Amino acid sequence: MDDFQTAEETTFVVDEVSSIIKESVDAAIGGSTYQHSRVNQWSSSVVENCLGQLTKLGKPFKYIVTCIIMQKNGAGLQTATSCFWDNTTDGSCTVRWENKSMYCIVSVFGLAI
Amino acid sequence: MEFQSVSFNSDEASNCVKECIESIIGGLDYNQNKVNQWTASIVEHSLTQLVKQGKPYKYIVNSAIMQKSGAGLHTANSCYWDTTTDGSCTVRWENRTMYCVVSVFAVAVGL
Repeated sequence: MDDFQTAEETTFVVDEVSSIIKESVDAAIGGSTYQHSRVNQWSSSVVENCLGQLTKLGKPFKYIVTCIIMQKNGAGLQTATSCFWDNTTDGSCTVRWENKSMYCIVSVFGLAI
Repeated sequence: MEFQSVSFNSDEASNCVKECIESIIGGLDYNQNKVNQWTASIVEHSLTQLVKQGKPYKYIVNSAIMQKSGAGLHTANSCYWDTTTDGSCTVRWENRTMYCVVSVFAVAVGL
């Protein structure tokens, strides 16, 4: 019984992190239209909100949160990530969100301490 | 045996990444068919070079390639880690037809 609880508390749970990200993005830019003057504070809000929620989980992890906001203009965007870590304990989660005027891609990487 | 405390050398990582980008897409035009393999190559080569340095770190390398067409792009990142040992560096590269942004995050491995 104790072992099961320990495992829950010390692994990177993708679903949990995914819903944290979606909530943060909706709260920061849900319903907004791309605005060059505001995108700076939007991306900062998204990463700070996510990080705040993640640290509240109280798990023994270091976190890296990245956010990309791109205007919908027909341009192509390709991203890739490669990680050198411990496959048994570390993990990542990426959420792609969009509305009528912009795309938002948020990635969270969790590394066990 | 003394253990030296390690810190992340951002300049070294930055130079390493710039060389990788140049060798893979330097002089090329944005090509939708190839951009997939370009981003994958950039992250793999950069990661390999960083790991070769033999330092006690876990690495995350992230790359984004965007076509130049007037669209706005904004990126941000936030990290919860040990500021004395961990670090990151971001390289912004461009040519006539595309932008390339590569970020490296290095997290110390507890010994």
